[in-house]
Amino acid sequence: MVSTSDALFAHKNSGIPDIEELPHSNLEERGRQRFCSALRRFAIQEMPEMVRKDFDQRVAPAHKAKGELIGDAVAIEEVMKGEASYRFYSTLRYNAQEMCFQSVQEPIERALPEMIDVAKAAVQRNPAGGSLRLNPEMPIPPYVSQLDVHLTPGCFHNEWVEDDVAQGAVVSLGARVFSASMNHRSWGGVAKVVSRWLKHERPDFAPVRILDIGTSSAKNLMPYAEAFPDSEAHGVDVAAPLLRYGHAVAEHEGIAIHLSQQNAEALDFPEGHFDLIVSSFFFHEITVDATRNVLRECRRLLRPGGVMVHQELPATCLVDAWEDFFWNWDTEHNNEPNYTSFRAQDPAVLLEEAGFGPDENFAQLLPDIGTYPERAEAFGWDEPGRPRHGKGAWYVFGSSLPS
Amino acid sequence: MADNSADKPTKDVKLPRSSKGARSRFFDDPAIDQIMTFLLELMAETNALRERADTIERLLDEKGTINRDEIEAYRPDAECEAERSAWSQAFIQRVMRFHEPD
Ligand SMILES: C[S@@+](CC[C@H](N)C(=O)[O-])C[C@H]1O[C@@H](n2cnc3c(N)ncnc32)[C@H](O)[C@@H]1O
Repeated sequence: MVSTSDALFAHKNSGIPDIEELPHSNLEERGRQRFCSALRRFAIQEMPEMVRKDFDQRVAPAHKAKGELIGDAVAIEEVMKGEASYRFYSTLRYNAQEMCFQSVQEPIERALPEMIDVAKAAVQRNPAGGSLRLNPEMPIPPYVSQLDVHLTPGCFHNEWVEDDVAQGAVVSLGARVFSASMNHRSWGGVAKVVSRWLKHERPDFAPVRILDIGTSSAKNLMPYAEAFPDSEAHGVDVAAPLLRYGHAVAEHEGIAIHLSQQNAEALDFPEGHFDLIVSSFFFHEITVDATRNVLRECRRLLRPGGVMVHQELPATCLVDAWEDFFWNWDTEHNNEPNYTSFRAQDPAVLLEEAGFGPDENFAQLLPDIGTYPERAEAFGWDEPGRPRHGKGAWYVFGSSLPS
Repeated sequence: MADNSADKPTKDVKLPRSSKGARSRFFDDPAIDQIMTFLLELMAETNALRERADTIERLLDEKGTINRDEIEAYRPDAECEAERSAWSQAFIQRVMRFHEPD
């Protein structure tokens, strides 16, 4: 039998097949996936409102009547953790998270050899002009390897076969199941939101080189390459299977991006190499010490006149006690042990420590494209009726350097 | 470096089904945590069965007679996708009938 890679090499001028289309789910699997999407949506959109109502109408008044103060997230958790509403919310959310990933594993197992062939062909042919640079000697930081982050069995970095892409597929396709019935999260949503805002704020900004740190499979890098077509787009991550998978997707899409396996705490690019440095959903997964190292690297790599924008979870000092309590659930239950301590940092302090100037530093809420198709401008923190992060807005922090 | 690269099979990879790290428990009796997983898995199976029945019904409406391959090969159009997603959400709402707080 002719292998997929032989067949691919026989057609030198044809494109790279879509790796995302290779896993085929059968009727049962599609039925389960749809259920997982709906369950997750129910658990993170509807249940929290029910838990809040239970807190406001029953639990809080009972404690207040006894003269007890419930002033912050820790106190809310203390009084809620024994309540049925909170326990059921938590168990639904936890199981939904596990089930989303499990629902894609079997189709991925069946398609794996073919997916690997496609990823290898993408590396050898690079029809879009991108590149993939792996470093099998690079140690995986312990904050990535000690727990399976996000309850993704196998985490980001584990490899089960030569040239493996399995975890790239599990992370990408699992996330698709997750978000299938969520209206405010579209593919590459963050990158589209941030690039629209950048173009609005700085119409003349034309980055020569862009860097996305903790890029995973470059889902939130590709839209920058499209928004700034004259730039050279780079992405770094520690996880080889995610990078291989992302490279195959980009080469299929015809988007040239340059991916490398590196620890963002110490990158091999020269000083002042980038005009735009971005990240999304990254810092809360690493330790606060690592965050300080990465921000110092960003300072070293940013060129005068350059801009840095990190999408993250809003810091504790920027939200009320209930929202703080709501976000911190993941710390213990989604295998993200650094979540609470990252959020406890004041972004302004982190940025100053890394050498960015107080006049340039910012923390903003940007309008989501789906929810606000017409508005590019950031929300004011005390703007009446402004949405919160995750519900029509995206929180970002960052800085820029004077030219 | 991945810590499990030593003995890599060339095919038939079986991915791990559970995550590294202690499993969260939300109830005083761990049997209730387990029962919740059973319940949600059973709901997922019910959802899958319902999609099969819906596929058969739609094909019968269209063609009058069908075979197993047609059931497996059926691909819902956007309208049917939307109806099925709405069904799944309503199904969860019906089963998750929480008691009103006292
Ligand atoms: C939640 S994911 C990021 C998702 C991605 N930015 C997106 O928007 O789709 C976090 C990523 O950071 C990577 N990572 C963690 N620590 C890192 C480090 N020190 N250097 C580079 N990448 C790292 C992980 O491997 C993982 O892929």
